[in-house]
Amino acid sequence: MRVELNGITVRFGPVTAVDDVSLGIEPGEIHALVGENGAGKSTLMNLLFGLVRPAAGTVVLDGVERRWSSPQDAIASGLGMVHQHFMLQDTMTVLENIVLCAEPVGRFGFVDFAAARRRLDAIAAEHGIAVDLTREVGRLSVSQRQTVEILKVLYREAELVILDEPTAVLTPQEKDRLFDTLRNFRAAGKSIVIITHKLDEVMEIADRVSVMRAGRLVRSSLLDETSRQEIARGIVGGELPEARTRKAQAAGDVVLSVRDATIARRGRPVGPVSFDLRAGEIVGIAGVSGNGQSELVRGLTGLDPLLSGGISLCGQSVETLDVAARRAHGMSYIPEDRQRMGLALGASVSENANAGRDDRSAFTTGPFLRHGAMMRFARAIIEDYRIRVAGPSAAASTMSGGNKQKLVVGRELTRNTAVVVAENPTWGVDIGAIDFIHGELMRMRDSGHAILLISTELDEVIALSDRILVMYDGAISGEVSGGEANREDVGALMMSRGKAA
Amino acid sequence: MLDLLLDPSFAASIPRFVTPILLAALGGALCERAGVFNIALEGFLLMGAFAAVLGSYFSGSPYVGALAAMLAGMALGLVFAEFNLRRGGDSIVVSIAINLLAAGLTTFLLRAIFDVTGAFSDAGIVGFGPVRLPLIEDIPFVGQILSGQSALFYVALLCVPLMHVFLARHRLGLRIRAAGENAEALRAGGVEPRRVQLVALLACGALCGLGGAQLSIANVNLFVENMSAGRGWIAVVAVLLTRGRPWPLFFIALLFGAVDSLSFRVQGLGLAQQFTDMMPYLATLIVLVALSWWRARRARGETR
Repeated sequence: MRVELNGITVRFGPVTAVDDVSLGIEPGEIHALVGENGAGKSTLMNLLFGLVRPAAGTVVLDGVERRWSSPQDAIASGLGMVHQHFMLQDTMTVLENIVLCAEPVGRFGFVDFAAARRRLDAIAAEHGIAVDLTREVGRLSVSQRQTVEILKVLYREAELVILDEPTAVLTPQEKDRLFDTLRNFRAAGKSIVIITHKLDEVMEIADRVSVMRAGRLVRSSLLDETSRQEIARGIVGGELPEARTRKAQAAGDVVLSVRDATIARRGRPVGPVSFDLRAGEIVGIAGVSGNGQSELVRGLTGLDPLLSGGISLCGQSVETLDVAARRAHGMSYIPEDRQRMGLALGASVSENANAGRDDRSAFTTGPFLRHGAMMRFARAIIEDYRIRVAGPSAAASTMSGGNKQKLVVGRELTRNTAVVVAENPTWGVDIGAIDFIHGELMRMRDSGHAILLISTELDEVIALSDRILVMYDGAISGEVSGGEANREDVGALMMSRGKAA
Repeated sequence: MLDLLLDPSFAASIPRFVTPILLAALGGALCERAGVFNIALEGFLLMGAFAAVLGSYFSGSPYVGALAAMLAGMALGLVFAEFNLRRGGDSIVVSIAINLLAAGLTTFLLRAIFDVTGAFSDAGIVGFGPVRLPLIEDIPFVGQILSGQSALFYVALLCVPLMHVFLARHRLGLRIRAAGENAEALRAGGVEPRRVQLVALLACGALCGLGGAQLSIANVNLFVENMSAGRGWIAVVAVLLTRGRPWPLFFIALLFGAVDSLSFRVQGLGLAQQFTDMMPYLATLIVLVALSWWRARRARGETR
């Protein structure tokens, strides 16, 4: 299918998310759409898929101008989309998920599951995809869920397949398998659009690459006619920040020691997990999302109790202490979810900046808050951490994702605690903010603080960590020294129990 | 007490109490599964009870009465959909409004149409008679329970397996479950969840309407103000306890209906009415506590 987008503009209220973009997608081609978060990639594809409507511009499929009133129209015209956040029903089986909204029906509107099963067997055989149709989707791994999403698209006989950040949740090996499937689609003459911000993947698989920045199309060309540097410059709109160099530094005393900790979760508990964290080092915890990292963090910070085992923080055992006591004793926490755990969105920047501080005397007089001191402190954080916001009294919800995250990072790091637990600290923020946050974490390390970096972004873990622990299936499957880590080794540990180092 | 429980006439009275609760709960289950938090079942029931009397009185047929009750329930379902689904009103607020509306409207219409207050009974109201099931009525004990009930009881019984199969295998059933589980995914698939939820609300209204008809033109042949008397709320509890699954719902409704029936019985034995009236709610409380205790224990077992 040949798709042309002509002069597309999309507005959300006063914000122009996509600004006059024209783009062509050819059949039998893998088209990479790259750009920072918020560059308008997903919005453009949501428009193509009928989920948002353009303020201006036209969509032309195989020479015919089309206008959808719902995704149903787009699906009927041969478009399929694998969303970044999977669109699945957890309590339904794989089969039910695949037929939902495209059900083959027999008498009285009852679903003909047998017919669906026959067609899926044929599709699975043709594309070499295996998945158990009777399993409940909620029990599948992330990669298996993605397979279900791809089967959904194939079942609807899509000629154009859009994948939004499909590799964000995969191990390197699973990614290879996905790319094989996509090449298979290309050979079958389908058009494929892959939204990504990983340049390695673009260079590996794309035939054509389009770069978006701030809602505009910066460039669109065949991969052969451009270079990695050119694409990177297009994404950030200038030169890339240079690679970070690590100052050699001997780690100091153990400040956080975890011994045989187990934490409850649905099904089997996480653990036992044991490791030490020393002053002046960054220890990364890598792993595919959902392998026990979030439970471990909740156990460490005191959000959930340990079932067994111990935690010692600066020489004192803290496993029975609550969150506030652990924070007071020398722990800061940058949570993964800034919207719900990191910030109170309805409260002001100043109130958020002062939340959870132990130096109360500086900000209170008796039971009353000292607004002046709070505002001064918030202004200092805004300046030091280069947060773009109207001012300290603006609501936290008015900031962009990157600035919200910088506020959380600033609040936690200014507490100057011995231990910092950072959980996916750059999730969903733009390249500029990522670089800044990485720099701040590194600066903390260099000044002798200990940082536990839990991240599902393998590149981030490799770039920052002195040592890398890999979690798989609720346990630590191995340890790799930061200097000698390569993606494949860590990737292998991310998929097997390995042997504990 | 044991004599009482084994008394066939007591057992035979249970279905009369089970039917309205079961029908309302089945309707509520559809809403629950579709992701509509509908706690207006009480209002739906009451409106149905009134409309059944109205239909039966003016037509002389209980079937027209039942039809009128279904339409009245669906009308309230439409009101719910308008304010909750289309205008985005909070479902609890909308539910409370509908419950109050049904109580006020039936009282007002009672006066406006029949010119009475409190209750309306008239020989012109034709009720559902008992349906005798040939072979089954000869089975000792069980036969006396299953045979000789109103047509609505058999409809309610039939609805349980039907709804089970409907939710598991029907296209609309699949979409109703999807609307309740992950509406955004349903929308991305090209089906508007609110449209599915509207259908669930209308079906819920019809089922509750039938439940109301059982109250006013099968159990008795009259309408009394507020005659639903909390049965809609018990149905809400049944729905929430079972998360809208038809078979567990059936057994819970059976239990609540039996206790409801028992409370009338022991009243005849001279127990204070204030106490017997509490029995269905006490039973609800006990089931709530027992279930949460059991679930907590199972959750602890999982982590071990």
